Amino acid sequence: MSVSETNTRKVLMDGLWANNNVFVQMLGMCPTLAVSTSAANGIGMGLATMFVLLGSNTVISMIRNLIPSDVRIPTYIIVIAAFVTIIDLSMNAYVHDLHKVLGIYIPLIVANCVVLGRAEVFAARNTVFASAVDGIATGLGFSLALGILGGTREILGAGTFFGLPVTGESFHPSLVFVLPPGAFIALGFIIVGVRLINQKRKANAS
Amino acid sequence: MPDYLKMGVVLMVVGMVATAILSVTESATQKPIAAAKRQEMFDMLKSVLPEGFDNKPDLDAVILADKRLNRQGKPVTFYRARKGETNLGAAFLVTAPDGYAGDIEIMMSVTPNGTINLVQIVTQAETPGLGDKIVKTNWLKAFPGKSQDGTKWRVKKDGGDFDQFSGATITPRAVVAAVKRGLDFFAERKETIFKPFKPEDKP
Repeated sequence: MSVSETNTRKVLMDGLWANNNVFVQMLGMCPTLAVSTSAANGIGMGLATMFVLLGSNTVISMIRNLIPSDVRIPTYIIVIAAFVTIIDLSMNAYVHDLHKVLGIYIPLIVANCVVLGRAEVFAARNTVFASAVDGIATGLGFSLALGILGGTREILGAGTFFGLPVTGESFHPSLVFVLPPGAFIALGFIIVGVRLINQKRKANAS
Repeated sequence: MPDYLKMGVVLMVVGMVATAILSVTESATQKPIAAAKRQEMFDMLKSVLPEGFDNKPDLDAVILADKRLNRQGKPVTFYRARKGETNLGAAFLVTAPDGYAGDIEIMMSVTPNGTINLVQIVTQAETPGLGDKIVKTNWLKAFPGKSQDGTKWRVKKDGGDFDQFSGATITPRAVVAAVKRGLDFFAERKETIFKPFKPEDKP
């Protein structure tokens, strides 16, 4: 993918849907499965990841021509870890309540292969602007995926959505969806749904 | 410059820049984080301790250690609430080591006559939907007003006064036992716990 081929719109659509990291590329499974116990957790984690992606993609794209290729991975890791720490500290200081909810998940972002993946695949080969757009798009796509998965698990597993009860008295939430196996089951069905939608769209287009 | 040197230099520079940025961030956020934590502690104590105190319980504290408060015998801070010279109560953290999923940290406050004022769970990782009913339901409401005497400090399944949940007995059992141990310790060391600060006590 060269600079001339990438236009902003395509980058956005790729990150958000067409090449969605969770639904299509199956990357970042660890935070996806672990954190998505509720809609709020999923989206919070997604947005925190988006800020890290925006920062790391921008900086890595800026220094991409200065880094010898043999040490690029350690360099990326340092940049990503620095951004994660900055976000961790600033959230702890200025949005303490939100940090209390998400706090334990934030250091996990360092280990999210989506962030390193975008650095290697996109930011190391594209302009600063395109990389920043890609960071936002991938981050939003990740938030979307975690939001959908978290929302599904919360509704089926606890009968609530963003903490508010949405199902009637007659609905008995099935605990398994909030527990780890539910993450795999729900994600499997959601991916089936996403594939079906994409197939239909392809059939309509041709 | 040979390649291997260039790699080393680049990594060093990247590391140094990242360290510099992080140390600036750290020093900028240190004070707000400490302030937020103090506020959190104060809010927590305010919600647990009896109403109407006029001291600062987060600063008026004694530190004691005992194996009954947590298994390792780590020091525990006892925050005292007073109004003028009158003791209203003390709040402290007990740890139940025998929950279903790791330690359960419990903040309990006790009035000077040994009655429980309030019990709150600070941290727990019990199974969602089963053990975590200790926080999701009003199960903790059973504690206030109870004291050493006149209460059977066991879950009903074991012939006591406290409800368990179907499918989750281990968690309530652990919490009830931990609160009881905390209460025993409080009764035994009440004098020390409420001993006021004297200027000559300061090191």
